[in-house]
Amino acid sequence: MELFTPELGLVFWMFVTFALLFLILAKFAWPVIIKMLEERADMIDKGVVYAQNAKEQLDNAKSEAASYIAEARKQQAEILREADKMKTQIIEEAKAAATVEAKKVMDAANLAIEQARKASEKQLRQEVSAFALGIAEKVVRENLASESAQTKLVDKLLNEVENKN
Amino acid sequence: MALAALLLAMPAQAAVTEGEGEDFNPKEIIFHHLGDAYGWEVPFSHSQRIPLPVIVRDCQGSWHIFSSNRLNDGASYDGFYIAHGGEYSGKVVGEQDGVQYRPLDLSITKDVAALWIAALVVLLIGFSVTRWYKKHNMKAPRRWTASFEFLVEFMYMSVIRPTLGSKAKTYAPYLLTAFFFIFVMNLLGLVVIFPGGANLTGNVAVTLVLALCTFFITNLRGNKHYWKEIFWPDVPVWLKCPLPIMQAIEVFGVFTKPAALCVRLFANMMGGHMIVIVLTLLIFIFAKFGPAVTGGITVFSVLFSLFMLLLDTLVSFIQAFVFTMLSTLFISMAVCDPHEGHDEAEA
Repeated sequence: MELFTPELGLVFWMFVTFALLFLILAKFAWPVIIKMLEERADMIDKGVVYAQNAKEQLDNAKSEAASYIAEARKQQAEILREADKMKTQIIEEAKAAATVEAKKVMDAANLAIEQARKASEKQLRQEVSAFALGIAEKVVRENLASESAQTKLVDKLLNEVENKN
Repeated sequence: MALAALLLAMPAQAAVTEGEGEDFNPKEIIFHHLGDAYGWEVPFSHSQRIPLPVIVRDCQGSWHIFSSNRLNDGASYDGFYIAHGGEYSGKVVGEQDGVQYRPLDLSITKDVAALWIAALVVLLIGFSVTRWYKKHNMKAPRRWTASFEFLVEFMYMSVIRPTLGSKAKTYAPYLLTAFFFIFVMNLLGLVVIFPGGANLTGNVAVTLVLALCTFFITNLRGNKHYWKEIFWPDVPVWLKCPLPIMQAIEVFGVFTKPAALCVRLFANMMGGHMIVIVLTLLIFIFAKFGPAVTGGITVFSVLFSLFMLLLDTLVSFIQAFVFTMLSTLFISMAVCDPHEGHDEAEA
Protein backbone atom coordinates (compact mmCIF):
# COMPACT_ATOMS: atom_id res chain seq x y z
CA MET A 1 0.00 0.00 0.00
CA GLU A 2 1.56 3.17 -1.20
CA LEU A 3 -0.24 5.22 1.43
CA PHE A 4 1.38 3.46 4.38
CA THR A 5 4.98 3.37 3.14
CA PRO A 6 6.65 6.75 3.40
CA GLU A 7 8.07 7.93 0.08
CA LEU A 8 11.72 8.87 0.45
CA GLY A 9 11.48 11.94 -1.80
CA LEU A 10 8.58 13.34 0.15
CA VAL A 11 10.32 12.63 3.47
CA PHE A 12 13.39 14.48 2.19
CA TRP A 13 11.46 17.51 0.96
CA MET A 14 9.24 17.57 4.01
CA PHE A 15 12.30 17.61 6.22
CA VAL A 16 13.97 20.37 4.19
CA THR A 17 10.81 22.47 4.06
CA PHE A 18 10.02 22.04 7.72
CA ALA A 19 13.61 22.76 8.77
CA LEU A 20 13.75 25.94 6.67
CA LEU A 21 10.35 27.07 7.86
CA PHE A 22 11.40 26.43 11.43
CA LEU A 23 14.70 28.31 11.05
CA ILE A 24 13.10 31.35 9.45
CA LEU A 25 10.19 31.59 11.86
CA ALA A 26 12.29 30.75 14.93
CA LYS A 27 14.66 33.56 14.05
CA PHE A 28 12.33 36.28 12.82
CA ALA A 29 8.76 35.61 13.89
CA TRP A 30 7.97 33.56 16.99
CA PRO A 31 10.32 35.26 19.48
CA VAL A 32 9.09 38.66 18.31
CA ILE A 33 5.45 37.66 18.67
CA ILE A 34 5.92 35.99 22.05
CA LYS A 35 7.90 38.96 23.36
CA MET A 36 5.22 41.35 22.17
CA LEU A 37 2.45 39.21 23.68
CA GLU A 38 4.20 39.18 27.02
CA GLU A 39 4.99 42.86 26.91
CA ARG A 40 1.41 43.70 26.09
CA ALA A 41 0.14 41.40 28.84
CA ASP A 42 2.51 43.12 31.29
CA MET A 43 1.39 46.52 30.11
CA ILE A 44 -2.26 45.60 30.56
CA ASP A 45 -1.54 44.23 34.03
CA LYS A 46 0.28 47.42 34.92
CA GLY A 47 -2.58 49.45 33.53
CA VAL A 48 -5.05 47.56 35.68
CA VAL A 49 -2.96 48.07 38.80
CA TYR A 50 -2.52 51.72 37.94
CA ALA A 51 -6.25 52.17 37.41
CA GLN A 52 -6.98 50.44 40.70
CA ASN A 53 -4.54 52.69 42.52
CA ALA A 54 -5.94 55.75 40.83
CA LYS A 55 -9.45 54.76 41.81
CA GLU A 56 -8.33 54.16 45.37
CA GLN A 57 -6.62 57.52 45.49
CA LEU A 58 -9.65 59.19 44.01
CA ASP A 59 -11.87 57.56 46.62
CA ASN A 60 -9.46 58.65 49.33
CA ALA A 61 -9.40 62.18 47.96
CA LYS A 62 -13.17 62.25 47.85
CA SER A 63 -13.56 61.12 51.44
CA GLU A 64 -10.82 63.53 52.44
CA ALA A 65 -12.58 66.38 50.70
CA ALA A 66 -15.83 65.38 52.38
CA SER A 67 -14.17 65.40 55.78
CA TYR A 68 -12.60 68.79 55.06
CA ILE A 69 -15.97 70.18 54.10
CA ALA A 70 -17.57 68.75 57.24
CA GLU A 71 -14.85 70.28 59.38
CA ALA A 72 -15.20 73.60 57.66
CA ARG A 73 -18.93 73.52 58.29
CA LYS A 74 -18.30 72.78 61.92
CA GLN A 75 -15.83 75.63 62.21
CA GLN A 76 -18.20 77.94 60.43
CA ALA A 77 -21.00 77.03 62.83
CA GLU A 78 -18.70 77.54 65.80
CA ILE A 79 -17.57 80.92 64.54
CA LEU A 80 -21.15 81.96 64.01
CA ARG A 81 -22.11 80.82 67.48
CA GLU A 82 -19.16 82.64 68.95
CA ALA A 83 -20.05 85.78 67.07
CA ASP A 84 -23.59 85.52 68.32
CA LYS A 85 -22.37 85.10 71.84
CA MET A 86 -20.05 88.04 71.49
CA LYS A 87 -22.85 90.17 70.12
CA THR A 88 -25.13 89.50 73.08
CA GLN A 89 -22.26 90.05 75.44
CA ILE A 90 -21.46 93.40 73.84
CA ILE A 91 -25.09 94.42 73.98
CA GLU A 92 -25.29 93.34 77.58
CA GLU A 93 -22.13 95.23 78.43
CA ALA A 94 -23.37 98.29 76.64
CA LYS A 95 -26.64 98.07 78.48
CA ALA A 96 -24.87 97.76 81.79
CA ALA A 97 -22.61 100.67 81.00
CA ALA A 98 -25.59 102.75 79.93
CA THR A 99 -27.42 101.92 83.14
CA VAL A 100 -24.44 102.87 85.23
CA GLU A 101 -24.06 106.11 83.34
CA ALA A 102 -27.75 106.89 83.61
CA LYS A 103 -27.67 106.18 87.31
CA LYS A 104 -24.74 108.51 87.72
CA VAL A 105 -26.57 111.23 85.85
CA MET A 106 -29.72 110.60 87.90
CA ASP A 107 -27.80 110.64 91.15
CA ALA A 108 -26.15 113.87 90.24
CA ALA A 109 -29.50 115.32 89.28
CA ASN A 110 -31.07 114.02 92.48
CA LEU A 111 -28.29 115.54 94.50
CA ALA A 112 -28.65 118.86 92.79
CA ILE A 113 -32.42 118.75 93.26
CA GLU A 114 -31.98 117.82 96.88
CA GLN A 115 -29.53 120.66 97.45
CA ALA A 116 -31.75 123.07 95.65
CA ARG A 117 -34.71 121.81 97.65
CA LYS A 118 -32.77 122.15 100.91
CA ALA A 119 -31.57 125.59 99.99
CA SER A 120 -35.03 126.71 99.04
CA GLU A 121 -36.48 125.08 102.16
CA LYS A 122 -33.97 126.87 104.26
CA GLN A 123 -34.71 130.16 102.60
CA LEU A 124 -38.46 129.49 102.81
CA ARG A 125 -38.16 128.69 106.47
CA GLN A 126 -36.19 131.85 107.13
CA GLU A 127 -38.69 133.84 105.19
CA VAL A 128 -41.67 132.06 106.79
CA SER A 129 -40.20 132.44 110.27
CA ALA A 130 -39.49 136.10 109.59
CA PHE A 131 -43.09 136.53 108.40
CA ALA A 132 -44.39 134.52 111.33
CA LEU A 133 -42.39 136.55 113.77
CA GLY A 134 -43.58 139.76 112.18
CA ILE A 135 -47.21 138.51 112.24
CA ALA A 136 -46.83 137.15 115.72
CA GLU A 137 -45.36 140.46 116.94
CA LYS A 138 -48.27 142.32 115.41
CA VAL A 139 -50.81 139.80 116.83
CA VAL A 140 -49.14 139.81 120.24
CA ARG A 141 -48.97 143.61 120.22
CA GLU A 142 -52.71 143.90 119.60
CA ASN A 143 -53.91 140.99 121.83
CA LEU A 144 -51.72 141.75 124.81
CA ALA A 145 -52.76 145.34 125.13
CA SER A 146 -54.93 144.47 128.20
CA GLU A 147 -53.72 142.99 131.48
CA SER A 148 -56.31 140.28 131.54
CA ALA A 149 -55.46 139.16 128.12
CA GLN A 150 -51.83 138.90 129.12
CA THR A 151 -52.66 136.87 132.20
CA LYS A 152 -55.02 134.62 130.27
CA LEU A 153 -52.33 133.91 127.76
CA VAL A 154 -49.81 133.20 130.38
CA ASP A 155 -52.22 130.77 131.99
CA LYS A 156 -53.02 129.12 128.78
CA LEU A 157 -49.34 128.68 127.94
CA LEU A 158 -48.65 127.37 131.37
CA ASN A 159 -51.49 124.88 130.94
CA GLU A 160 -50.09 123.75 127.69
CA VAL A 161 -46.70 123.29 129.25
CA GLU A 162 -48.30 121.34 132.05
CA ASN A 163 -50.27 119.18 129.70
CA LYS A 164 -47.22 118.56 127.64
CA ASN A 165 -45.30 117.35 130.61
CA MET B 1 -21.56 25.31 0.21
CA ALA B 2 -19.14 26.58 -2.40
CA LEU B 3 -16.44 24.45 -0.90
CA ALA B 4 -18.65 21.39 -1.01
CA ALA B 5 -19.56 22.08 -4.62
CA LEU B 6 -15.91 22.38 -5.52
CA LEU B 7 -15.08 19.26 -3.64
CA LEU B 8 -17.75 17.36 -5.50
CA ALA B 9 -16.64 18.73 -8.83
CA MET B 10 -13.35 16.95 -9.00
CA PRO B 11 -14.04 13.40 -7.95
CA ALA B 12 -17.26 13.62 -9.91
CA GLN B 13 -15.36 14.62 -13.00
CA ALA B 14 -12.86 11.89 -12.41
CA ALA B 15 -15.57 9.36 -11.88
CA VAL B 16 -17.44 10.42 -14.98
CA THR B 17 -14.46 10.08 -17.24
CA GLU B 18 -13.38 6.84 -15.68
CA GLY B 19 -16.95 5.61 -15.57
CA GLU B 20 -17.08 5.82 -19.36
CA GLY B 21 -14.88 2.78 -19.50
CA GLU B 22 -16.29 -0.49 -18.23
CA ASP B 23 -14.15 -0.79 -15.12
CA PHE B 24 -15.35 1.79 -12.59
CA ASN B 25 -12.94 1.13 -9.76
CA PRO B 26 -13.73 3.12 -6.57
CA LYS B 27 -10.68 1.85 -4.76
CA GLU B 28 -8.32 3.14 -7.44
CA ILE B 29 -10.03 6.54 -7.47
CA ILE B 30 -9.86 6.82 -3.71
CA PHE B 31 -6.17 6.01 -3.53
CA HIS B 32 -5.43 8.17 -6.52
CA HIS B 33 -6.93 11.16 -4.69
CA LEU B 34 -5.31 10.36 -1.38
CA GLY B 35 -1.92 9.67 -2.88
CA ASP B 36 0.79 11.73 -4.48
CA ALA B 37 1.13 12.60 -8.17
CA TYR B 38 3.77 14.02 -10.49
CA GLY B 39 1.47 16.69 -11.91
CA TRP B 40 -1.27 18.71 -10.29
CA GLU B 41 -4.80 18.16 -11.51
CA VAL B 42 -6.85 21.17 -12.55
CA PRO B 43 -10.63 21.24 -12.07
CA PHE B 44 -12.96 19.98 -14.83
CA SER B 45 -10.19 18.34 -16.79
CA HIS B 46 -8.83 14.90 -16.29
CA SER B 47 -6.05 15.06 -18.84
CA GLN B 48 -4.54 18.47 -18.26
CA ARG B 49 -2.22 18.94 -15.33
CA ILE B 50 -0.03 21.66 -13.92
CA PRO B 51 3.46 20.38 -14.79
CA LEU B 52 5.92 19.92 -11.95
CA PRO B 53 9.63 19.04 -12.19
CA VAL B 54 10.64 15.40 -11.96
CA ILE B 55 14.08 14.98 -10.38
CA VAL B 56 15.52 11.48 -10.45
CA ARG B 57 18.94 9.91 -10.17
CA ASP B 58 19.45 6.84 -12.30
CA CYS B 59 21.43 3.78 -11.28
CA GLN B 60 24.57 5.20 -12.86
CA GLY B 61 24.41 8.14 -10.47
CA SER B 62 23.57 10.91 -12.92
CA TRP B 63 20.66 13.28 -12.29
CA HIS B 64 17.74 13.83 -14.65
CA ILE B 65 15.44 16.81 -14.35
CA PHE B 66 12.43 17.19 -16.65
CA SER B 67 8.82 18.31 -16.66
CA SER B 68 6.20 15.87 -15.49
CA ASN B 69 4.23 16.67 -18.68
CA ARG B 70 6.69 14.50 -20.61
CA LEU B 71 5.47 11.44 -18.74
CA ASN B 72 1.76 12.05 -19.43
CA ASP B 73 -0.28 9.17 -20.80
CA GLY B 74 2.43 6.60 -20.18
CA ALA B 75 5.03 8.40 -22.30
CA SER B 76 8.65 7.70 -21.62
CA TYR B 77 11.42 10.28 -21.33
CA ASP B 78 15.14 9.68 -20.85
CA GLY B 79 14.24 6.06 -20.20
CA PHE B 80 11.92 6.94 -17.35
CA TYR B 81 8.17 6.35 -17.29
CA ILE B 82 5.36 6.02 -14.76
CA ALA B 83 4.72 2.43 -13.85
CA HIS B 84 1.19 1.03 -14.06
CA GLY B 85 0.62 -1.81 -11.68
CA GLY B 86 3.36 -3.80 -10.07
CA GLU B 87 5.43 -2.87 -7.06
CA TYR B 88 6.07 0.72 -8.14
CA SER B 89 2.60 1.53 -9.45
CA GLY B 90 2.18 5.25 -10.08
CA LYS B 91 5.86 6.02 -9.56
CA VAL B 92 8.57 7.02 -11.95
CA VAL B 93 10.67 3.99 -12.82
CA GLY B 94 13.65 3.37 -15.06
CA GLU B 95 14.78 0.23 -16.83
CA GLN B 96 18.21 -1.36 -16.56
CA ASP B 97 18.92 -4.42 -18.63
CA GLY B 98 15.21 -5.02 -19.08
CA VAL B 99 14.58 -4.96 -15.30
CA GLN B 100 12.35 -2.26 -13.86
CA TYR B 101 14.00 -0.35 -11.01
CA ARG B 102 13.10 2.65 -8.90
CA PRO B 103 15.54 5.57 -9.23
CA LEU B 104 16.31 7.87 -6.34
CA ASP B 105 13.30 10.14 -6.69
CA LEU B 106 13.47 13.69 -5.33
CA SER B 107 10.79 15.03 -7.68
CA ILE B 108 8.83 18.10 -6.80
CA THR B 109 5.59 16.18 -6.73
CA LYS B 110 2.13 17.55 -6.05
CA ASP B 111 2.64 16.92 -2.33
CA VAL B 112 6.01 18.69 -2.27
CA ALA B 113 4.58 21.68 -4.10
CA ALA B 114 1.66 21.73 -1.68
CA LEU B 115 4.15 21.57 1.21
CA TRP B 116 5.81 24.68 -0.13
CA ILE B 117 2.51 26.47 -0.55
CA ALA B 118 1.60 25.56 3.02
CA ALA B 119 5.01 26.75 4.23
CA LEU B 120 4.51 30.00 2.35
CA VAL B 121 1.12 30.49 3.99
CA VAL B 122 2.66 29.86 7.40
CA LEU B 123 5.39 32.41 6.63
CA LEU B 124 2.74 34.93 5.59
CA ILE B 125 0.87 34.28 8.83
CA GLY B 126 3.97 34.68 10.97
CA PHE B 127 5.22 37.79 9.23
CA SER B 128 1.81 39.44 8.97
CA VAL B 129 1.83 39.55 12.77
CA THR B 130 5.42 40.83 13.09
CA ARG B 131 4.81 43.40 10.37
CA TRP B 132 1.82 44.68 12.32
CA TYR B 133 4.08 45.15 15.35
CA LYS B 134 6.56 47.10 13.25
CA LYS B 135 3.84 49.40 11.98
CA HIS B 136 1.65 49.76 15.04
CA ASN B 137 4.01 49.01 17.92
CA MET B 138 2.05 47.95 21.02
CA LYS B 139 -1.42 48.21 19.51
CA ALA B 140 -3.37 44.97 19.42
CA PRO B 141 -3.82 43.63 15.87
CA ARG B 142 -7.15 43.73 14.08
CA ARG B 143 -9.00 41.35 11.75
CA TRP B 144 -6.95 38.48 10.30
CA THR B 145 -3.75 39.43 12.01
CA ALA B 146 -5.61 39.37 15.29
CA SER B 147 -6.83 35.83 14.69
CA PHE B 148 -3.30 34.68 13.88
CA GLU B 149 -1.97 36.39 16.96
CA PHE B 150 -4.78 34.84 18.95
CA LEU B 151 -3.74 31.36 17.75
CA VAL B 152 -0.14 32.02 18.76
CA GLU B 153 -1.27 33.35 22.11
CA PHE B 154 -3.66 30.44 22.60
CA MET B 155 -0.97 27.85 21.92
CA TYR B 156 1.77 29.64 23.81
CA MET B 157 -0.11 30.88 26.86
CA SER B 158 -2.42 27.94 27.44
CA VAL B 159 -0.41 24.96 26.20
CA ILE B 160 3.31 25.60 25.84
CA ARG B 161 4.08 27.87 28.78
CA PRO B 162 2.02 26.08 31.45
CA THR B 163 3.59 22.75 30.46
CA LEU B 164 7.18 23.73 29.80
CA GLY B 165 7.54 26.51 32.36
CA SER B 166 10.92 28.21 32.18
CA LYS B 167 11.89 26.13 29.13
CA ALA B 168 8.95 27.42 27.14
CA LYS B 169 10.91 30.02 25.18
CA THR B 170 13.44 27.44 23.98
CA TYR B 171 10.92 25.02 22.52
CA ALA B 172 8.07 27.37 21.59
CA PRO B 173 9.46 28.11 18.08
CA TYR B 174 9.50 24.43 17.16
CA LEU B 175 6.06 23.74 18.65
CA LEU B 176 4.46 26.83 17.10
CA THR B 177 5.98 26.05 13.70
CA ALA B 178 4.68 22.50 13.92
CA PHE B 179 1.22 23.70 14.98
CA PHE B 180 0.80 26.26 12.24
CA PHE B 181 2.32 24.05 9.58
CA ILE B 182 0.03 21.13 10.44
CA PHE B 183 -2.99 23.40 10.76
CA VAL B 184 -2.40 25.07 7.39
CA MET B 185 -1.66 21.74 5.69
CA ASN B 186 -4.86 20.28 7.13
CA LEU B 187 -6.96 23.20 5.94
CA LEU B 188 -5.32 23.36 2.50
CA GLY B 189 -6.00 19.65 2.18
CA LEU B 190 -9.71 20.39 2.46
CA VAL B 191 -9.66 22.84 -0.44
CA VAL B 192 -10.10 20.72 -3.51
CA ILE B 193 -8.70 22.89 -6.29
CA PHE B 194 -5.20 23.99 -7.14
CA PRO B 195 -3.55 25.61 -4.13
CA GLY B 196 -4.98 22.86 -1.97
CA GLY B 197 -6.24 19.39 -2.54
CA ALA B 198 -3.06 17.55 -1.66
CA ASN B 199 -3.60 15.07 1.12
CA LEU B 200 -0.51 16.16 3.04
CA THR B 201 -1.11 15.37 6.68
CA GLY B 202 -2.90 12.24 5.49
CA ASN B 203 0.41 11.12 4.03
CA VAL B 204 2.54 9.08 6.35
CA ALA B 205 5.81 10.60 5.07
CA VAL B 206 4.79 14.06 6.28
CA THR B 207 3.59 13.01 9.70
CA LEU B 208 6.62 10.74 10.07
CA VAL B 209 9.00 13.68 9.67
CA LEU B 210 7.03 15.72 12.19
CA ALA B 211 6.95 12.87 14.69
CA LEU B 212 10.68 12.20 14.17
CA CYS B 213 11.43 15.85 14.99
CA THR B 214 9.62 15.52 18.29
CA PHE B 215 11.35 12.17 18.85
CA PHE B 216 14.82 13.63 18.30
CA ILE B 217 14.18 16.73 20.37
CA THR B 218 12.84 14.61 23.22
CA ASN B 219 15.72 12.15 23.23
CA LEU B 220 18.59 14.46 22.37
CA ARG B 221 17.60 17.11 24.93
CA GLY B 222 16.44 14.67 27.62
CA ASN B 223 17.90 15.38 31.06
CA LYS B 224 18.97 12.88 33.72
CA HIS B 225 15.47 12.64 35.18
CA TYR B 226 14.18 11.52 31.83
CA TRP B 227 16.79 8.77 31.44
CA LYS B 228 16.42 7.73 35.06
CA GLU B 229 12.68 7.32 34.53
CA ILE B 230 13.46 4.99 31.66
CA PHE B 231 16.28 2.91 33.09
CA TRP B 232 15.59 3.07 36.82
CA PRO B 233 11.96 4.17 37.39
CA ASP B 234 10.42 4.57 40.84
CA VAL B 235 8.76 1.17 41.10
CA PRO B 236 9.33 -1.85 43.38
CA VAL B 237 12.76 -3.35 42.76
CA TRP B 238 11.46 -6.74 41.64
CA LEU B 239 9.85 -5.05 38.68
CA LYS B 240 13.18 -3.80 37.37
CA CYS B 241 16.08 -5.73 38.85
CA PRO B 242 16.46 -9.35 37.83
CA LEU B 243 14.24 -8.98 34.78
CA PRO B 244 14.19 -5.50 33.21
CA ILE B 245 10.40 -5.48 32.80
CA MET B 246 9.90 -1.78 33.42
CA GLN B 247 12.94 -0.85 31.37
CA ALA B 248 11.58 -2.83 28.44
CA ILE B 249 8.21 -1.09 28.73
CA GLU B 250 9.79 2.36 29.05
CA VAL B 251 12.17 1.88 26.11
CA PHE B 252 9.25 0.60 24.09
CA GLY B 253 7.35 3.72 25.17
CA VAL B 254 10.13 5.98 23.87
CA PHE B 255 9.34 4.72 20.38
CA THR B 256 5.58 4.31 20.67
CA LYS B 257 5.06 7.95 21.68
CA PRO B 258 6.27 9.47 18.39
CA ALA B 259 4.76 6.55 16.48
CA ALA B 260 1.39 7.37 18.04
CA LEU B 261 1.87 11.03 17.11
CA CYS B 262 2.64 10.06 13.53
CA VAL B 263 -0.20 7.58 13.11
CA ARG B 264 -2.83 9.66 14.92
CA LEU B 265 -2.42 12.68 12.67
CA PHE B 266 -2.05 10.58 9.53
CA ALA B 267 -5.04 8.32 10.23
CA ASN B 268 -7.35 11.14 11.28
CA MET B 269 -6.70 13.29 8.26
CA MET B 270 -6.61 10.44 5.77
CA GLY B 271 -9.81 9.03 7.27
CA GLY B 272 -11.57 12.37 6.89
CA HIS B 273 -10.55 12.70 3.26
CA MET B 274 -11.44 9.11 2.52
CA ILE B 275 -14.94 9.41 3.96
CA VAL B 276 -15.70 12.49 1.88
CA ILE B 277 -14.46 10.80 -1.30
CA VAL B 278 -16.34 7.60 -0.54
CA LEU B 279 -19.55 9.54 0.10
CA THR B 280 -19.13 11.25 -3.26
CA LEU B 281 -18.37 7.98 -5.02
CA LEU B 282 -21.55 6.47 -3.60
CA ILE B 283 -23.45 8.49 -6.22
CA PHE B 284 -21.61 6.73 -9.04
CA ILE B 285 -21.69 3.32 -7.39
CA PHE B 286 -25.47 3.58 -7.13
CA ALA B 287 -25.83 5.09 -10.61
CA LYS B 288 -26.72 1.74 -12.16
CA PHE B 289 -29.80 1.35 -9.91
CA GLY B 290 -31.82 3.94 -11.75
CA PRO B 291 -32.58 7.65 -11.43
CA ALA B 292 -34.67 7.48 -8.22
CA VAL B 293 -32.01 5.71 -6.20
CA THR B 294 -29.27 7.89 -7.68
CA GLY B 295 -31.21 11.06 -6.84
CA GLY B 296 -31.78 9.96 -3.26
CA ILE B 297 -28.18 8.93 -2.82
CA THR B 298 -27.01 12.22 -4.31
CA VAL B 299 -28.94 14.26 -1.78
CA PHE B 300 -27.76 11.99 1.00
CA SER B 301 -24.11 12.05 0.02
CA VAL B 302 -23.98 15.79 -0.66
CA LEU B 303 -25.44 16.50 2.76
CA PHE B 304 -23.11 14.05 4.43
CA SER B 305 -20.08 15.30 2.50
CA LEU B 306 -20.87 18.81 3.63
CA PHE B 307 -21.25 17.63 7.19
CA MET B 308 -17.98 15.67 6.99
CA LEU B 309 -16.16 18.64 5.51
CA LEU B 310 -17.32 20.89 8.33
CA LEU B 311 -16.30 18.19 10.78
CA ASP B 312 -12.92 17.91 9.05
CA THR B 313 -12.43 21.64 9.45
CA LEU B 314 -12.85 21.14 13.17
CA VAL B 315 -10.66 18.03 13.07
CA SER B 316 -7.98 20.04 11.22
CA PHE B 317 -7.66 22.30 14.20
CA ILE B 318 -8.06 19.57 16.80
CA GLN B 319 -5.39 17.36 15.25
CA ALA B 320 -2.92 20.22 14.90
CA PHE B 321 -3.66 21.13 18.51
CA VAL B 322 -3.35 17.56 19.75
CA PHE B 323 -0.06 17.01 17.93
CA THR B 324 1.39 20.18 19.41
CA MET B 325 0.00 19.50 22.87
CA LEU B 326 1.39 15.96 22.98
CA SER B 327 4.74 17.10 21.59
CA THR B 328 4.83 19.74 24.32
CA LEU B 329 4.03 17.11 26.90
CA PHE B 330 6.69 14.68 25.64
CA ILE B 331 9.31 17.42 25.49
CA SER B 332 8.36 18.66 28.96
CA MET B 333 8.71 15.13 30.35
CA ALA B 334 12.20 14.99 28.89
CA VAL B 335 13.59 18.45 29.61
CA CYS B 336 11.76 19.79 32.67
CA ASP B 337 12.83 19.24 36.21
CA PRO B 338 9.87 17.26 37.64
CA HIS B 339 9.41 19.63 40.58
CA GLU B 340 9.73 22.81 38.59
CA GLY B 341 7.35 21.44 36.01
CA HIS B 342 4.72 20.75 38.66
CA ASP B 343 5.06 24.16 40.20
CA GLU B 344 4.65 25.79 36.83
CA ALA B 345 1.61 23.67 36.06
CA GLU B 346 -0.05 24.71 39.29
CA ALA B 347 0.89 28.34 38.92
